[in-house]
Amino acid sequence: MQQLERSFYSKASMYSFIVVMILIFLMWIGTGQFSHVDIMLFGYVIGSLVFAIGITVRMVSWSLRPATQQMLKRSFVNMRNRKRKKRNITSILKTAVDNIVLQKFIFKRGIYRGITHWLIAWGCLGSFAITFGLTFGWMHFSLIDAETYQMVVMGIPTIKMAADGFLAQMIFEGLNITAMMLLFGVLMALIRRSTNKDVKVTQRPEFDLMPLYILLAVTVTGLVLTVSYKFLGGWMHNYMALIHQITVVLFLVYFPFGKLFHLPIRPMAAGVPMNYQEEVQVDTRGCRRCNTPYSSDDQIADVKEVLGLQSFDLQLADGSYLSDYCPACRRRMRVMKQLNLESSLESPYAPIQTMTDVQVPGFGSPRADAYYDNSKGEKEND
Amino acid sequence: MNKIMYLEFERCIGCRACQAACRECGDHDAKERNYVEHVDFMESRQTFPMMCMQCKDPACARVCPANAIQITEEGVVLSASEEKCIGCRNCTFGCPFGIPKFDFEANKMYKCDMCYDRSKHDIAPMCASVCPSDAIRFIDFDEMQSLRRRRTQLNLVEGKKPTEQDKWKYVPEFFGVYSD
Ligand code: SF4
Ligand code: SF4
Repeated sequence: MQQLERSFYSKASMYSFIVVMILIFLMWIGTGQFSHVDIMLFGYVIGSLVFAIGITVRMVSWSLRPATQQMLKRSFVNMRNRKRKKRNITSILKTAVDNIVLQKFIFKRGIYRGITHWLIAWGCLGSFAITFGLTFGWMHFSLIDAETYQMVVMGIPTIKMAADGFLAQMIFEGLNITAMMLLFGVLMALIRRSTNKDVKVTQRPEFDLMPLYILLAVTVTGLVLTVSYKFLGGWMHNYMALIHQITVVLFLVYFPFGKLFHLPIRPMAAGVPMNYQEEVQVDTRGCRRCNTPYSSDDQIADVKEVLGLQSFDLQLADGSYLSDYCPACRRRMRVMKQLNLESSLESPYAPIQTMTDVQVPGFGSPRADAYYDNSKGEKEND
Repeated sequence: MNKIMYLEFERCIGCRACQAACRECGDHDAKERNYVEHVDFMESRQTFPMMCMQCKDPACARVCPANAIQITEEGVVLSASEEKCIGCRNCTFGCPFGIPKFDFEANKMYKCDMCYDRSKHDIAPMCASVCPSDAIRFIDFDEMQSLRRRRTQLNLVEGKKPTEQDKWKYVPEFFGVYSD
């Protein structure tokens, strides 16, 4: 592996190379040695390849950051630890259900935001699942008799349903439903981003709005396709398919490099209950100075190690580290040092004598206006 | 931006106007991001305001496994990107000054960002614009230099020069955003 790695500029380029080779090989098999490549779908091929390279590069460089690596390392060690089996399973399930399926924490940031995000997230994931599932042939429908369809997933027959039943309708309309979810979600997000004053001052338009515009383009062109074949007898279908393809390629190419890249990062949230905090807001490690619980031993060990790896020297004279103290004590220690308060005070009511002895509290008498005049102020201070 | 946030802890009178102002700032959700605390309640009435140092090489961002803490081109260290923060609180424990706060409900970290939406236009951050005793000031680089000169000895404690890694030892009383 090391020798292989040396033939590349970096780990990221090596993995991208491998991923692309695998994809091309799969395509070679799937298309019968490239004999029936559908030129109409060529954009999707290019888009997917760029998508794969982008995701690989971004994921590799992300996981190589010392902090990320430490988190992953500890998660994998803990996952293999049999004694922690129960904690691991509950952490993963709880994170999956609360954070990914229900996205509870976003609903806590606001019901409107929760609904928006949930619609966009599941609209996207659903559309992806259906498109990939159908195009790669992972799932298909077979007609058992004149009235009944059966869903076949990965070659395994699953549920049967009446061909004109409610369930069948829902499944055949799946892509349209997810597209409508996306459309509503994106519109809600755009409304919030253009009316909410708080968001307007803090957002980065390119970063926060770009993904919404791209998603909107994908959804609208996709829905127009449906309208075209359902109601207009395929009018302009070819052109619309091409435009849809362009938007999807744009989306795929943008995905790894923009805001949407948070998707592959989120599952790491399972590491928090698994490694650091079994229950939310229950801390087990006490502060070295005031003994208030503020964190857990494992987490502080990780923080120290990550800081050490990046040559942050936060060790104090007595051998303890700043991260051994709770945040409130850390703030206080800094101020006490600065104000020369570590030694005993003259009197509780006396003014503070700082280290330099230069500045004595002066808010009793306002500064002369001249002080704020730069040229004069300079002389006065020197 | 060529303005500096200048703190003089000993001028603090503990009125907490800065915290009230912070709650009003855009997108802060009525939660303050700065601190006003007693140094040692039993010994002295001295309080101090505490804001983020906007480190050049921020420990908080370095310990964040999700890479959620971004630094703007002016050098302001922003709150965690809401979409990335996984809520581990590493930043809170990594920061040498104990600055980042954590919202357990919404599962995200939030911290002082020097009111980036204001300070990027050279408008004083909310806290500095209300402090009645000038403990927090948002001043020109030159003025900061002249104030600092009076405190030069500070940086010579024990005859050493502070570096990015140990400046907390040397009483870093100025901090801020440099345009270069
Ligand atoms: S939060 Fe702490 S480490 Fe991060 S920039 Fe502010 S002072 Fe520095
Ligand atoms: S709490 Fe959020 S911002 Fe802080 S270290 Fe964890 S992921 Fe990063």
